[in-house]
Amino acid sequence: MRSSDPIAYPRLSRRLFSVWYRHMRVYTRNLLSNGLPPFLEPVLFLLGVGLGLGRYISATMDGLPYIEFLGTGLLVTAAMYTSAFECTFGTFIRLEFQKVYDGMLAAPITVNNLVIGEILWAGTKGFFFSFAVLCVLTVFRIIQLPEGLLAPFVGFLTGMMFATMSLLVTSFVKTINHFNFYLTGFISPMFFFSGVVFPVSSLPPSVRIVAEIVPLTHAVRLVRALCTSRYELSLMGDLAYIAVFIVVVGALAVRRLRGRLVD
Amino acid sequence: MSGRWDGSFGDSNMKVIKVQNISKSFGKLCAVCDLSFEVEAGTCFGLLGPNGAGKTTMMKMVYGRSTRDEGRDGTIDIFGYDPARDELAIKYLSGVVPQENNLDDELNVIQNLMIYSKFYGLPAKLARERIEALLGFLELSEKIEAKIKELSGGMQRRLVIARALLNDPRLLILDEPTTGLDPQVRHLIWDKLRQLRAQGTTILVTTHYMDEAFQICDRVLIMDKGRKVLEDNPRRLLAENIEAYVLEVTVTDGAPTIREADLPESVRLDRTAGTLRFYAGNIEELKGVADGLADHPYYLRQSTLEDVFLKATGRVLNEKQ
Repeated sequence: MRSSDPIAYPRLSRRLFSVWYRHMRVYTRNLLSNGLPPFLEPVLFLLGVGLGLGRYISATMDGLPYIEFLGTGLLVTAAMYTSAFECTFGTFIRLEFQKVYDGMLAAPITVNNLVIGEILWAGTKGFFFSFAVLCVLTVFRIIQLPEGLLAPFVGFLTGMMFATMSLLVTSFVKTINHFNFYLTGFISPMFFFSGVVFPVSSLPPSVRIVAEIVPLTHAVRLVRALCTSRYELSLMGDLAYIAVFIVVVGALAVRRLRGRLVD
Repeated sequence: MSGRWDGSFGDSNMKVIKVQNISKSFGKLCAVCDLSFEVEAGTCFGLLGPNGAGKTTMMKMVYGRSTRDEGRDGTIDIFGYDPARDELAIKYLSGVVPQENNLDDELNVIQNLMIYSKFYGLPAKLARERIEALLGFLELSEKIEAKIKELSGGMQRRLVIARALLNDPRLLILDEPTTGLDPQVRHLIWDKLRQLRAQGTTILVTTHYMDEAFQICDRVLIMDKGRKVLEDNPRRLLAENIEAYVLEVTVTDGAPTIREADLPESVRLDRTAGTLRFYAGNIEELKGVADGLADHPYYLRQSTLEDVFLKATGRVLNEKQ
């Protein structure tokens, strides 16, 4: 079979798929423990914060009732968190403790294939987590279908975006505890100051600039506009930001991780 | 693409691996220094050396996991491919058994192998057939549904070897395949490697066990501090580099005291802290030395590759050991 074509190694798309497939199989092996929390978490959040605290908030935010404002934001923060955890702790454990990558790199897979496959997988998880929030929001009649059906796709982009950034951070990390700085110092603040809990427009101007620079703000704006059918031209800017971010930071992450995986 | 492997071995002297003047430095440390060797198709070649000799680094350069120093005229040629450019082709034709067992703990035996077969693009049905055959070959058939953590170290090692054989490799690369395993498993693995070689698989193995090299290698390269020290067939290495017999005497409380002047000229004495080793080509001469020890315990034996190795690489531990 091979003698006629000795270098019939799988083409690029198959190699990326095989990396993605490995992660998918490991994730879906514990379907209940992995698959249920994404649905429970938004329920708890909406009950506790939305209905509990929200009852005292009579003002609309960006023209939306508070529960809808918050709910649409949660569509992408769920994707952010899952992707950030997957590509920090998850990646580091595969890299340093389980040595899974050593095994994979002995097969016809390059470091580029490995890292890009990982980013695609994190995007897929972002899609799934956004979808879970979407289900909850739909059941609670907080958002309307079919507009909301676009949200998981923004979840996919958000997942990829935070995957590239988290992998870049991981490429520098020497011990697993260092991730606390990144998660507490960077990811958590983003949850509060990127227009999820309250509008960016109510931040003081100096902080607003920071909010415009960080990635989550753009994902929130995009998903909220799609779910409420409020299309504006400026959304193209948010989409462009996300695309450029994935490509640039992704390229940096691939480069850094190659240095770590190949002597 | 002339010169590249066409999938056949029409020329029985075909070299699967050609390494010429390869160096690899980590900062100022020269891990592999100007190393050259060739491996003939269908043979087993052993890289031998103490820890830190550069064996693993050399091996990783073969399949593109490590890069050689740039700006030198060294070349690596595997089936006609250069790992710096054609990593994927080399890895497709080869199976790699890394030093550490890096199986996916989160998956069971069959899942580990099925997922790995995807990396080679094997169709699921063919993969399943191969996996069953390979588990049979490595005597793991009963463990097909077992979790990785339920497997002993020897079973995990055999499973990693099965994984490396999934794509029916023409070149099998093993980094210390039997380190830390019990004698039964070591013999089982050696037996399997000899079977693979008999079927035409070329094998590159690193080890620091002399008995392993003697058991499976057709050719051995002893390296130390990144450089080649000796290279030959293991039996010839033994015949040409060391006397046939050794008398080992443990020194306790300064006894026995031996004066080199009293020894026959053909007996060589090697003193290390705690042990005296007398080497000679003629066993009678060593018996004579032993008779002179009175009641002091001694051990008279044939010399092994280990003696060659210790003589060649020096008995003093280096800083990496």
